[in-house]
Amino acid sequence: MDDAVEYARGIWSTRYFWAHLAISDLRSRWRGSVMGLLWSILQPLGMTLLVAVVLGKIFNQPIYSYAPYILSGILVWEFVTSTLIGGSLAFVQADAYIRQCRHPLAIYTLRTALTNLLVLMLASLGLVLWVLVAFPGNLGLCWLALLTLYPVVGLAGWAGATVLAYIGVRFRDIPHALGLVLQTLWFVSPIYFDASVFRSSGLVALVDYNPIYHVVQLARAPLLEGMWPTPANYIYALGLVLVLATAACVAGWRSERKVIFYL
Amino acid sequence: MTSQIRLEDVHLHYLSSAFKDRSLKSFLARRLALNSVPEVRDVHALKGITLDIAAGERVGLLGANGAGKTTFLRMIAGLYPISGGRRIVTGNIRSLLELSLGFEPDATGRQNILYRGLLLGMNPKFMRSIEEEVAAFADLGEFIDYPLKTYSAGMQVRLAFAVSTAVGADLLLLDEVIGAGDASFMAKAKRRMAEMISSAKILLLASHDPGALRSLCNRGLVFRGGSIAFDGPIEAAVASYQAMGKASR
Repeated sequence: MDDAVEYARGIWSTRYFWAHLAISDLRSRWRGSVMGLLWSILQPLGMTLLVAVVLGKIFNQPIYSYAPYILSGILVWEFVTSTLIGGSLAFVQADAYIRQCRHPLAIYTLRTALTNLLVLMLASLGLVLWVLVAFPGNLGLCWLALLTLYPVVGLAGWAGATVLAYIGVRFRDIPHALGLVLQTLWFVSPIYFDASVFRSSGLVALVDYNPIYHVVQLARAPLLEGMWPTPANYIYALGLVLVLATAACVAGWRSERKVIFYL
Repeated sequence: MTSQIRLEDVHLHYLSSAFKDRSLKSFLARRLALNSVPEVRDVHALKGITLDIAAGERVGLLGANGAGKTTFLRMIAGLYPISGGRRIVTGNIRSLLELSLGFEPDATGRQNILYRGLLLGMNPKFMRSIEEEVAAFADLGEFIDYPLKTYSAGMQVRLAFAVSTAVGADLLLLDEVIGAGDASFMAKAKRRMAEMISSAKILLLASHDPGALRSLCNRGLVFRGGSIAFDGPIEAAVASYQAMGKASR
């Protein structure tokens, strides 16, 4: 227990370091581009239009309401993939820092998660504006629920990235394998496809027992349906955080000190 | 808090799983060749080291390449986990190991001054207060506002040195005397080093230069094959190391 407190203190005392690195990552992402941070909003919007037009025709969905659904899925999924793939390389990329200073290794995956979380927040502005214009009737107190999305995905992403970073430092196959795994997850989750498509095809379990669905609902329920997320949404979302956080703690407890040998 | 280093029967192993060939190809080769491939074992890099270093000591580390000097420094710095024994190190540590690594290539020299300072545990306010001084010491002219990726290797080391030595520490760990940049910078770096060494409570310096060791240290540890072969006054340690070299020749 003392070790855990000590570890948390280590993360806190290095806060300036990881926070600045995360901001530096954002800066370098937009460096040299004319549109700069606007790209974080524009890129998912463009993707949404493309997907909405095609899938809207295939599944016979009204594009007008289907597009914001897709956008919300793209935003969260973009966060998931970039955090997990970036996270699996986090220790390898921070090797110069890890070799020089003994700081808690979790700060390097925190850097990845934080960078992507800031991008997600920024990109959410596009979604919020779109919904405000298209469905002003949805606006209500329940929109506050959107604010609970960020800590949930932030913590889950940080923990997931940490687990993958520990595996990725030993097995450099992880980023390759992860691409495949994430594609599978994407395919079986209601991210682009409407949840009703899954339900009507008898794939109810892929919706109801899928934590990804419940996490995205934290944004979709308030913005797209004008309702608070259900308790089940929160139970699955927090359950996911708990499971991943436990796995990250176990991985760190077992392997943190050995990581330097694998760099 | 008094600074001290106390080691009791410290062992350190490099894990063989870290450098063993784990590819599918080598796995099949091992199976098919029925173990004719030599087995790779954990490397026993430090063997039963017991010593005390008290505040005020200036310790030089001698030994052939691969004898364990750098591993010893990294172990003291807490970077490498020990596989047996006890390691007690009190006081804040500044290690100048792999100095030229750890920059953000897209960020400017100035931003990197900040990042490295934060890496070393300083806060942003303090770093901004010494930024000008560090930049002046590194003496990179207008390049200080250019991205790090435009720097030459020598310029990177100058910047790293300027930041890392801007603030002193209780325990100073050095691997070789730093050779950074051109003659004029070297002279400046030597003066800065001397100041830092004199303000540090404990100095550990690994070097192959007997002159530097004699002038900077008062105690010497001679490493051989991961153990300490000699521990005593620096003059005697240098003599012992040189005798060891002659005997093996």
